[in-house]
Amino acid sequence: MTSSPDQDHVAAGNGGGVATLDPDELPTAAPRTVPWLRIGVIAALIVVAIVLAYVRAGSGVVVVQAVTTGILIGGVYGLVAMGLTLIFGVLDIVNFAHGSFLALALFLTFGLTQAGLHVYLALAVSVPAMFLLGVLVQRGILAGAMGKPLENQLLITLGISLIIENALLLFFGANPRSVALSGDRGVPIFEAVANLSRILAFVGALLLAGLLYLLLQRTRLGTAIRAVAANDTGAQLVGIDTRVIYAVTFALGTACAGAAGTLVAPLVTIEPTTGSLFNIVAFVVVVLGGMGNVVGALIGGLIIGLAEQLGGIYLPGQSPLLSVFIVFVLVLFLRPQGLFRRSA
Amino acid sequence: MRKTWTLSLALAVPLALAACGGSAPAGTTTGGGEQSGGTIKIGSLHPLSGSSAADGQQMDNGAKLAVEAINNAGGIKSQGGKKLELVSADTQGKPEVGQSEAQRLIQEGAVGLVGTYQSAVSANVSTVSERNKVPFVIDVSSADSILAQGYKYTFRVQPSSTVLGTSGAQFLDQVAKAGGKPVKTVAVLHEQGPFGTAVRDAFKAEAEKAGIKVGPAIAYDAASVSDLTTQITQVKASGADVLMVAGYYRDGVLAAKAVDTVKPPALNAVYGVANGAFDLPQFPKEVGAAAEGYFDANYHADMTKPDMQALAKLYQEKYNDAIRTGAVLAYDSVEVIAAALEKAGSAEPAKVRDAIASGEVPTLIAGPGTIKFGPTGENLNATPILMQVQSGAPKQVFPADKAEAQPVYPAFKSQ
Repeated sequence: MTSSPDQDHVAAGNGGGVATLDPDELPTAAPRTVPWLRIGVIAALIVVAIVLAYVRAGSGVVVVQAVTTGILIGGVYGLVAMGLTLIFGVLDIVNFAHGSFLALALFLTFGLTQAGLHVYLALAVSVPAMFLLGVLVQRGILAGAMGKPLENQLLITLGISLIIENALLLFFGANPRSVALSGDRGVPIFEAVANLSRILAFVGALLLAGLLYLLLQRTRLGTAIRAVAANDTGAQLVGIDTRVIYAVTFALGTACAGAAGTLVAPLVTIEPTTGSLFNIVAFVVVVLGGMGNVVGALIGGLIIGLAEQLGGIYLPGQSPLLSVFIVFVLVLFLRPQGLFRRSA
Repeated sequence: MRKTWTLSLALAVPLALAACGGSAPAGTTTGGGEQSGGTIKIGSLHPLSGSSAADGQQMDNGAKLAVEAINNAGGIKSQGGKKLELVSADTQGKPEVGQSEAQRLIQEGAVGLVGTYQSAVSANVSTVSERNKVPFVIDVSSADSILAQGYKYTFRVQPSSTVLGTSGAQFLDQVAKAGGKPVKTVAVLHEQGPFGTAVRDAFKAEAEKAGIKVGPAIAYDAASVSDLTTQITQVKASGADVLMVAGYYRDGVLAAKAVDTVKPPALNAVYGVANGAFDLPQFPKEVGAAAEGYFDANYHADMTKPDMQALAKLYQEKYNDAIRTGAVLAYDSVEVIAAALEKAGSAEPAKVRDAIASGEVPTLIAGPGTIKFGPTGENLNATPILMQVQSGAPKQVFPADKAEAQPVYPAFKSQ
């Protein structure tokens, strides 16, 4: 429901005619200008939220802990959402199988660590493996549905997710598994503490986000991907093979899920359904950050991570998803196109 | 037009299911057992897929083993040695699926149902069983509300949330006093559903009777929580000397990891009440040395009984997995129905129901006696026992007559 105004926006570029509540949305804005004012407003709102949380909790330690945990979790949410937003931005596919790809990577990581490989070395296997799987799925299953109505692709990806989840259940059984990181310990950050594995997952997410951003902005392939996202007919006319770009983009998205799966493996209980935990949040982050915007996804992830943790202080005993959706609905109301619009 | 088609299909499927679910008039199902080639059917309703599949499959396996054991011992003797047949169904952990599957099993001639693990699913199945007058024996589902409806056909083998919370508080008080460090303040961390809140309320009431302060009580959503560090930091800030945790497996592991990270200095023990993690053999494997000393007041298979040891061995051989208490409760529940079939001398569900209500059946669960149902269908002898992780494995530690080892309190050395 929110996708159509956004798509209209793509062609219109940054000088779109949709009324917004932000004063910096002037038609003269250059396409690549960093929206400092908007970032400033968001940062100010986050500071207000933190101060209010302090008043509510009455304990500095708890708030510092909530902010630390929120930022660390948010980085991982951002990484998962980046893959999803890339696929949506370029292929216009709502990929319901994203969480299942993540679960697949979790099990792959589990298998590799059982075979004696270090968790983070497993990235060298899980990322290429998930990239390859992404190419196969896109070329083999989704290519035929390109350009068809949205519900076709939606139902196909939903089907893929059911197949992956139940295949994992069939082959690995339902018993929970875990990957231990040797030397994992609590690391003090100001008054708070965080697990080393969580910090490493966060740093890994930031590094991968940076790499993805460079790939999109600084390479020929990235330029081609952005061109297809902006206008695939136009891209075809200038000689870009859109079929290759579709396959590569989808594969980059699943590779993000693969990387996220390996990075979070030491943090979660590994079950066939673990991926669905990340699915809902990732969709919220994608819409929040502006569909198709990779950097927006990362910032959206951080906001959602903070909303989840601070929400636990404001509204004790409620699902963390409640505060996430309060933020989500507010953003949709004030900026239906997401906080940051498409980078293409 | 394709959109209309998709939409109408999406609408038609649940309607068709609802039609199947609602079409059976009451009382049309008696005698199904006698007609189907000499076997008596018992329905097993558990979450075989979805996020509780591990427990659901264990429980279904437990029910299968019970049926095999009864058949190998000569079937139902009062009915000419008729054999039992277990019909398994997957509830997927969803109330509406559980309801339609219960209806299906009854239509296929099941004379009794066992299940279902989730309280919300059990509540729906109990309605179906009442409407069709087919007995339903709950193996696992602790919500008090299920048996508060005045239903005649629903029975529960495991202890209710209230019994679990009350006994949990009593055990904690006694064990802490015996350890020379009476409990001052208990912080409570519980899942926000009916199970967690009911356990919290019962625990709080009983603990306050013993002069223990309870607070803060922090709730979380078990389905979507991904980190409990902030909550454990709140516990640390409160200075509580015991942390009570009521929840399921995945969140129990998150809580233990967060306690290990934050290390609240005042904490003498982490104390689960009906916790789905702390008394499982997987728990110390996943959490490692940090799991040492964790308590759990929970219903539990009585490993001091030779029959139970034999069942655990059989389960390990057959399914290559350590048996969980859920599977033992499913085993016991099938035994309850089988004993009633024997006593009634008939497979007519209404007669089976009466035999269950008046019967008394031996159990493999640790407790003061046999399975015996009160007027509401609650098992009068259902109580938890106290477990503690010692040397990397959960051991029975309290009350003394069920103990495999001595309880260690304070559970943590001064940090």
